[in-house]
Amino acid sequence: MKLKSYLKLFKISNIDFSKEIGISSVSLSRYISGERLPEKKILNKIFKLTNGSVDANDFFLSSSPSRDLSEIHKKEIKKMVLNIRGGKLKDLAKAITLVESSLKLHNAQADFLLSKLKQNKNSLRVGITGVPGVGKSTFIETFGMSLIDLGFKVAVLAIDPSSKRTGGSILGDKTRMMKLSVNKNAFIRPSPSQGNLGGVAKKTSESIRCLEEAGFNIIFIETMGVGQAETTVYDMVDIFLVLLLPSGGDELQGIKKGIIEMADVIIINKADGNLKNTAEITMLEYKNAQNMISNIREDISPEVFLCSSTESIGITKIWNFIKKFEKIRRDSGSFYKTRIQQQTKAIWRNILLQSQDYIENNLKYNDSVKKIIKDVEKNNFDVNNASKIIFDFILKRNT
Amino acid sequence: MDRKNIYKGWEEQASKELRDKNLKDHFWETPEGIKVKPLYTEDDLQKINHEIGLPGLPPYTRGPRATMYTNRPWTIRQYAGFSTAEESNKFYKEGLKNGVMGLSVAFDLATHRGYDSDHPRVVADVGNAGVAIDSIEDMNLLFDGIPLDQMSVSMTMNGAVIPVLASFIASGEEQGCPREKLTGTIQNDILKEFMVRNTFIFPPKPSMRIVADIIEYTSKKMPKFNSISISGYHMQEAGANQVQELAYTLADGKEYIKSALERGLNIDEFAPRLSFFWSIGMNFFMEIAKMRAARYMWSKIVKEFKPKNDRSLALRTHCQTSGVSLMEQDAYNNIVRTTIEAMAAVMGGTQSLHTNSFDEALALPTKFSARIARNTQLIISEETGICNVIDPMAGSYYVESLTSSIVEESQKLISEIDEVGGMVKAIEMGIPKMRIEESSAKRQARVDSNEETIVGVNKYKPTEKQEINILSIDNVEVRKRQVSRLQKLKNSRDNKIVESFIEKIKNAASSDENLLEICIEASKNRCTVGEMTSAMESVFGRHNLSTKTISGVYKNTVKNDGKIDIIDNELNKFVNKKGRRPRMLVVKMGQDGHDRGAKLIATAFSDLGFDVDIGPLFQTPEEAAKQAIENDAHVIGVSTLAAGHKTLVPLLMESLKNNEASYIKVICGGVIPPDDHPFLYDLGVSKVFGPGTNIQEAAIEIINLL
Repeated sequence: MKLKSYLKLFKISNIDFSKEIGISSVSLSRYISGERLPEKKILNKIFKLTNGSVDANDFFLSSSPSRDLSEIHKKEIKKMVLNIRGGKLKDLAKAITLVESSLKLHNAQADFLLSKLKQNKNSLRVGITGVPGVGKSTFIETFGMSLIDLGFKVAVLAIDPSSKRTGGSILGDKTRMMKLSVNKNAFIRPSPSQGNLGGVAKKTSESIRCLEEAGFNIIFIETMGVGQAETTVYDMVDIFLVLLLPSGGDELQGIKKGIIEMADVIIINKADGNLKNTAEITMLEYKNAQNMISNIREDISPEVFLCSSTESIGITKIWNFIKKFEKIRRDSGSFYKTRIQQQTKAIWRNILLQSQDYIENNLKYNDSVKKIIKDVEKNNFDVNNASKIIFDFILKRNT
Repeated sequence: MDRKNIYKGWEEQASKELRDKNLKDHFWETPEGIKVKPLYTEDDLQKINHEIGLPGLPPYTRGPRATMYTNRPWTIRQYAGFSTAEESNKFYKEGLKNGVMGLSVAFDLATHRGYDSDHPRVVADVGNAGVAIDSIEDMNLLFDGIPLDQMSVSMTMNGAVIPVLASFIASGEEQGCPREKLTGTIQNDILKEFMVRNTFIFPPKPSMRIVADIIEYTSKKMPKFNSISISGYHMQEAGANQVQELAYTLADGKEYIKSALERGLNIDEFAPRLSFFWSIGMNFFMEIAKMRAARYMWSKIVKEFKPKNDRSLALRTHCQTSGVSLMEQDAYNNIVRTTIEAMAAVMGGTQSLHTNSFDEALALPTKFSARIARNTQLIISEETGICNVIDPMAGSYYVESLTSSIVEESQKLISEIDEVGGMVKAIEMGIPKMRIEESSAKRQARVDSNEETIVGVNKYKPTEKQEINILSIDNVEVRKRQVSRLQKLKNSRDNKIVESFIEKIKNAASSDENLLEICIEASKNRCTVGEMTSAMESVFGRHNLSTKTISGVYKNTVKNDGKIDIIDNELNKFVNKKGRRPRMLVVKMGQDGHDRGAKLIATAFSDLGFDVDIGPLFQTPEEAAKQAIENDAHVIGVSTLAAGHKTLVPLLMESLKNNEASYIKVICGGVIPPDDHPFLYDLGVSKVFGPGTNIQEAAIEIINLL
């Protein structure tokens, strides 16, 4: 990292640091500003003193220009933040677009925007998953409308699959949320997964913060229920709902057992008409199975409910349980503790994603790397050695 | 030489003529998946699995009547969507003078959905696509001077079927015609609404109960009235192939029979009054075969319910030439298309026929285009001699083989429906809708890649633009008149009595009392269509459609002739510049439920690599704007077919402006008269696409626009 950032992080003054290295504070300022380059001996000292945090590269490479926003951009973003707080949907929508964008400039704008947002401790983040056709959107429509009647502001982030072949997508969630989508206390944003489920999840947690800034206090995150995305979504919500159809085991429904194990609430949906009996049997099966699953939350056990979104059955019971869940966990402090743990997880997730992105979009195109790989293919180079050398590229990468 | 050797001889001769090409390559696989050979012979007649029989006798393959056109030609029934009762009345009187034998009433979208003209959701819908009927007063104007005891009246009504039929019956009685003398047809086919046209009001269950109420009432009190017109027309319009149209329509019919029987009716009480309605497209022989197969299969289906009267087995049908076969480009070609389609309907043995006017891809027909359409039928009927022989196609090697293949293929689809437990269940599962949308996407892909020819559209394009005079409707003026008439009605009637009837309707809806019966009395006492509907709605609820979409079908069918690569390239450039894919919201505003176009655009564009949002049906402009802003779409694609664009698009533009979101571009597609294009461009619309637009070319244009 840059020396300037290091000193700031550990709150070390320039004078103290210069004394330790044995140079004048003026020289140190010149090194920091980039006016002058430190010689080898000084570099070594700095490297040792900072436990390797600041190395030679940090003096030679300037930071990538796109990270620095112009004042005009900053002003725009500040205005955007004010508008979001003022309840302008347009600005909220644009902010989410910045968060989701693949452009470097947009990401820098999004980072700046996020740095201006407050922490919201009062919101409730609700993850909802289930296989296509289980009735997630219809459930959110009914549930969301009843919450709005109670005075809440409800937001929905829906992650829809993008086609692997063409990259395009159809986002039809709002056709199943007709009342909610036109209500002024609701905001629904479907997002294409762009084939990168983990990546979208990162963006989703940032979108949640934008929504909270706009005053939405119940936020649903809807995913497809087929694997990858759910674990990451689980790590950004306060409570996790899994919707199931009457009848059939997990395998039959195409839902992963691991996902069921994460559930705080299991909802047997579409318990109406001639499916009612089957739904009750399914509920019993899951209730029995719950006894064998170790609880993931220390203070409250998961529960199973029957629900019919079309006949509004079960909605009140589910809401009562969610309220109980929230109260117990807030009172015990585990609610907020989990959020803090989630933030740490988010850091590591972001780092993994960034490395992945760097590998896919830069490293693989590096001429030396390409040469090394070719040599390995020709048996001129050993795999372990090659990996070590290539990994050094990541270490030296300056961000 | 025996037959086998003769055929071999032909094969050799044909192969010689084909030189190095293979005879097998000359087999044609139709969109229905039927393999058509280049030659049919006597042998093929041996293999058919349907019974040809004789006209007027079961199984009625050759026609429901023994004499068919030799005694009396089909009924020329012209339908037109004029906006007001007065204008429609004038049109009817004009038609009656010029050879039209029956009246058809098309209702406006507000009426279809059970809203009075003063309802805030229908600002743009009043007077569009048909006449606005708010009460018995409008019915009285509509039939002023037309003796209903002598004139057969066909009404295209499904959603608000109870209040509209009730007003019609009540109006007849005020005119002095008792209900038992009324003749005509009410469409009353709600199942296909859930499948394709979306002009429903209530959920499937109460909707089916209403159908049964009507069948019950008419079978007892209106013996000359067709209680239902089971329609395949709208399926083909929505992109269904002929086998799907046939199979799903017959399956619908079966479902109606079941629900009437459950009501305690006897099959022979109502089956003779069930009628059908086909679309007739450009696949000439397929259409003829479809109509013959339909009659054969229906007689078999009804037979299972053990009728005693043979008339219960006979399928009678109305036909209309296909609306989707009409093209905006080179529009005079439509006259020729309609003629060929009309010929197929006649060869297929229809009981009545509507021929489309050539300008209907652009707007409502003018006096001139309506006259040509009418004359098309008169010429076939009176100049060709076709009417002198019954069922001239019978025994044709090809037509009979094709009929047999259609019977076989449709039987498969019907079995699929039976297996899930009937049509209501299948509709809930979305099976027929999905299949129809698949065919629709496939067809578009074939046309876009020139595998299917449409003269003047994807081949032999005209070099000069033709000017065509079209009729436009001032929807604002119509609404104003309707609203003031409603006001007058509400001020002059006894509102206490009205309220008591509203209560009675609610009670009937929650019990098993016949809704039609009570609504006839309510109409006489000046209850409006909207009031009667909302009384029922308070018990039944209003049905919301959950939209299902398909993907991949277009991309898998289309042939890449280089345009796909251009699109991929443009899309990559776009993503690199904007940080995401182009995002388009496809909306249908107003009460027009025809979502074939919107669905097709959505699936094709997402297949091409766009992110496509779809809006719920029946959106208001404000709702569409909110959705576009929230989703941060780059562009809104407005699909419009029912002339609502002149009111709805300005409101949409205004709503975007009010929300400081004019950066969102707007494009329009569908049936939009060229005369309206400047109006839309002046509003700030970026591009207008007509019917027959090549989707890939449109995609490139839209990317460049953004």
